[in-house]
Amino acid sequence: MEPHEQSSSPPIRHVELKAILLLTLVAALVTGFVLYVLYARGAFGETQKLVLIADDSEGIAVGANLTFSGFPVGRVQRIELSKNGKAKIEVEVPVKDVHWLRTTSVFTLERGLVGGARLRAFTGNLDDPPLPDGAERQVLRGDATEQLPVLLATMRSVLDKIERMTASDSDLNASLANLRVVSERMTGRYGALGGLLGGDENAKKVIDALDRSNALLASLGGVSAKLGRTIDKADARVFGAGGVMDETQQAIAQLNAVLGDARASLKKADAVLAEAQKVGANTAAATEDLAALRAEVEASVRKVGSLIDEVNRKWPFKRDTELKLP
Amino acid sequence: MPERMEPIAFRLRRAGFAAVAFATALSPSAYDPAARRVAARQIYFSAWQILPGFTLACAALSWVLIRIVLSSSNAYGLSAYALELTVRVLVLELIPLFAALFVGLRSGAAINTEVVLMHIRGDLDAQQRAGRDPLRHELVPRVIGSAVAVMLLAYLNCAVALLLTYYEMYGISPWGLAQFLRITGEVFAPVATIGLAIKTLLFGIAVAVIPITSALAVPRLQRMAAVAVLRGMVSLVLALAVIEGSFLAIMYV
Repeated sequence: MEPHEQSSSPPIRHVELKAILLLTLVAALVTGFVLYVLYARGAFGETQKLVLIADDSEGIAVGANLTFSGFPVGRVQRIELSKNGKAKIEVEVPVKDVHWLRTTSVFTLERGLVGGARLRAFTGNLDDPPLPDGAERQVLRGDATEQLPVLLATMRSVLDKIERMTASDSDLNASLANLRVVSERMTGRYGALGGLLGGDENAKKVIDALDRSNALLASLGGVSAKLGRTIDKADARVFGAGGVMDETQQAIAQLNAVLGDARASLKKADAVLAEAQKVGANTAAATEDLAALRAEVEASVRKVGSLIDEVNRKWPFKRDTELKLP
Repeated sequence: MPERMEPIAFRLRRAGFAAVAFATALSPSAYDPAARRVAARQIYFSAWQILPGFTLACAALSWVLIRIVLSSSNAYGLSAYALELTVRVLVLELIPLFAALFVGLRSGAAINTEVVLMHIRGDLDAQQRAGRDPLRHELVPRVIGSAVAVMLLAYLNCAVALLLTYYEMYGISPWGLAQFLRITGEVFAPVATIGLAIKTLLFGIAVAVIPITSALAVPRLQRMAAVAVLRGMVSLVLALAVIEGSFLAIMYV
């Protein structure tokens, strides 16, 4: 262990060779490690630059990945504040991966609840022209935590509603209880009808009514058959040979003849009436003469009356005309 | 050597010694055959002897830690961060510190005892009188041996831990390689990589320099040998903690 003391002890075989081996091993490890780190950090691959402009680069660190469909296709090399106050994120994209990014690609910066922000690229059409070197693109932001207060408020109101809905005296519970009653009824003898009508008795009534309706329809069938037969008979009577219609036609012919006679009679009556009109006119003239005649008759009658009165007064068997006052 | 040195002066002396040792180690003229032999023996004792055992122990410890990190991250739905966490904790921090502590407790304690005995016996003065530079022939080779041992153990076991992590995460499938490269590439940013190299070098230097300076700082009394080893070990652990804490602060604060 102690070199000074062990120098007097038997010498170690190939000590210098072993020391050189160990030194070589250290050198190899250091070289290998440096090469590994350079390769892992993409120092040997050809890259092109993409500049993303964001309102806020919080959560993005140098070395963060730009992912496409979950695969890293680029790495943030530098973040700086541009002159217009926006964050300028320089991303190095290996040339072998650059074909995933097109001129129409959309870039987003998303912040989750856990971990840093994520830069993601979306390409709708991979046939669009490729993204040129040094292209500048705006970053769309999506932040889960920003939406969190709104989400919490909404959730709280939703939970309140759910709580009210699930309370023991809630409408929902009452509805469910009613539904249970209805469904229990539906499992009864009269099935869904019992559930709808509120009980087996009502359902029974409905079924009885249906039975009666069926019976009624059956008897109606009989009636309609009889009616059919009656109509057939009536048809035969009315429209058959020697039926009502034939007689009616004859009657109508006779009626026509009668009407012709009546028309002739009416013409005669018309003439009679013309005559009568004339008679009436004569009568009117005669009536005027009658008034004078009447006046004369009345005067003659009055004279006859007064004559009779005179005769009576002068008649010896005259009646006592003395007036006796009470 | 005074009975009790002022703490600041003591520290300055220690830093001065570390600088001189480092400069000497880097100058090719310092390596005459005798110095080279001592350095080779020191590398052999500090690194070669313990390499298989330490690698096995460290691999077992790494495997346990990797399993714990992977299963906990899976349980919490954070498996995407498991690889980064494992590499950061294990490769960047724990393994270099573990290697430095191991070499410090093994070779550092031995160097401390050896140098304090040489100091008490007056061997170093005798060598100087005989025209042999004790710094170049006795002390610097020990520093080189310890530094090489710490770097070798740290880097080798970092590589083993990376392989184990890959195997635990993806099995022997080559399809995880792209993701593994990407995530480890992110972890080994320039600051982290250069920091790891500097930290490991500082650990290696501290592991030898602090015991040597502690040994040289005590009076030449037989009973002070134990005190020198005690002080050396306590100072060493404190120094390792300070270096580790400083790098953590630089990386994450």
